[in-house]
Amino acid sequence: MDTNDALELSAQRAISAAGKRKIRWGDVLAPYLFISPFILAWLTLFIGPAIYSLVLSFFRYKGYGTATYIGIQNYQSILTYHVFWTMLRNTIFYWLAHVIPLMTFAFLLAVLVRSKLVRWKSFFKPVIFLPNVIAVVASALVFQSLFGTQYGVLNSLIGAQIPWLQDPKLTRYVVVLLLVWRGVGWWFVIFLAGLTAINTEVEEAALVDGASAWQQMRHITLPLMRNTFLFAFVIDAISSFRLFTEVNVLVGTGGGLAPVAVAPILNLLLSNLRGAQFGMSAAVGWILFVLVVAVTYIQFRLFQENAEGVE
Amino acid sequence: MAGSASATPTRSSASYRRGRSIQVALAHSILLIVVAISFYPLIVMALNSFKTDSEVLRNPAGLPEVWTLASYRAIFEYHGGLWRNFINSVIVASTSTLVSVWFASMAAFAFAKYQFRGRNLIFALLLAMMMVPFEITVPPLYIMFARLGWLNTYQALIVPSLASVFGLFLMRQYMLGVPSALLEAARIDGANHWQLYWRIMAPASAPILGAFAILHFMGVWNDYLWPLVVATERSIQPIMVVLPNLRDPHIGFLPVWGTIMAGSVLATLPIVTVFVAFQDKFMSSVVIGAVKE
Repeated sequence: MDTNDALELSAQRAISAAGKRKIRWGDVLAPYLFISPFILAWLTLFIGPAIYSLVLSFFRYKGYGTATYIGIQNYQSILTYHVFWTMLRNTIFYWLAHVIPLMTFAFLLAVLVRSKLVRWKSFFKPVIFLPNVIAVVASALVFQSLFGTQYGVLNSLIGAQIPWLQDPKLTRYVVVLLLVWRGVGWWFVIFLAGLTAINTEVEEAALVDGASAWQQMRHITLPLMRNTFLFAFVIDAISSFRLFTEVNVLVGTGGGLAPVAVAPILNLLLSNLRGAQFGMSAAVGWILFVLVVAVTYIQFRLFQENAEGVE
Repeated sequence: MAGSASATPTRSSASYRRGRSIQVALAHSILLIVVAISFYPLIVMALNSFKTDSEVLRNPAGLPEVWTLASYRAIFEYHGGLWRNFINSVIVASTSTLVSVWFASMAAFAFAKYQFRGRNLIFALLLAMMMVPFEITVPPLYIMFARLGWLNTYQALIVPSLASVFGLFLMRQYMLGVPSALLEAARIDGANHWQLYWRIMAPASAPILGAFAILHFMGVWNDYLWPLVVATERSIQPIMVVLPNLRDPHIGFLPVWGTIMAGSVLATLPIVTVFVAFQDKFMSSVVIGAVKE
């Protein structure tokens, strides 16, 4: 692809440059030496463990003694375990309930801040981004304090005793609120950059042709932002399926895991790990992987179909 | 800007200006509401950190009746001296950031500027495996580290985050844009391969190295799942694992909200400091991976 531009410090070049028929091993080895620390770390800490994990998921292993091959039994037990389905439902709920308000707010804010109506853009941009800079654990703890039943800020303000973090139905919405609150700034900054990258001439030409603001948005801005949106939705979906910290800090008391009624999938990986069910724990990881791939694939397809519909 | 005003000749300029100033006011009030919502939890966090633990229970929402640093003092005096956990976080996050920037930038340099056998294949493999979530490696890494006797050590906390394919990818993209002529010139002047990397490429790609360093540091600093798995001893735990578990030293089960909020402020401070110092760089680091030109 980019081979033309690459500096050819390779064997052939070394030969011609030196005018000798002798290969300069330093030149041949240099790129391998440069990549070797990274590749070694990647192989021993990611690829090796990933393969080990795949193998492990077909075994019953307690961490000591011998591992017994049990075929797909781990997967079977997980998929027939009602707790898994509760956690999957929770995870999908967290994802779908937060992604629409999150992306809508972030995009509208970006449009607003970019518009000619708003002054002090350099003030609003960092300020809207700020919640992202707060440590995840710290923001979950603040939300725990905001939504406490007896000593919570919100309940003390409205003089009620609403069990925000005791009633799973309410807790789920507090989690969603936390995800939206924390996430808006991040995607706002990305959408703002995406909007700024759009050639203003195209938009101005549309204005001159008499397009309304809505038409301009619908037919010019949104299609041009499609790749940014695809990126945003895919990345957000992947991180939603890997949700862990927010929920467990918000409602997990004493460093423990959140109750099953509100727990995300990763909790099943961790609880099996703590119970020394390493095969099961690994199998949960691979189910998560399949889910992530499926969700990514579906979104790529949806965006593709939409694109074809527009053109 | 003048163009858009003259493009609406039908409206009289006075009514146009009035309509516009209403829009401007509306836009700014919406933004101010958003800012208020963004800030409110932070204000609560800051205010409650200046109350004693018992006052937070009595008065969670208001201003402190008595402004006190008692909660900050508690962090350093009680709970086994939380400063130690802060230092753990700093050690883990900064070591991991330094090493992973170094590893990824060397590899990125080779992938961007060298021809070598297997280059495209290796690069494609790296990218293909990016879809596999890190969590998959948690059970085997736990077993491996337990065998090595690495549970409750710094290396167990640091080592899994050292090879960032995301960082490698970002850096390679950037380095492709650094002119090869720069390297050629240095080469003719007799620079060896290490000097090409260290003297030419690393400084030339400083912006992307900095941007990645910020993202990576934040990621490790914020990490909760992995330390929860491998660090069970208080003396080695990063602050993030300790903070949610602070309980009253005398009564036990009662969360000490003043101290927890003070700890949250301190846990947030390093990243906020970097953010305030390098706002634009910080926010562009978020964008770099997302928006392609």
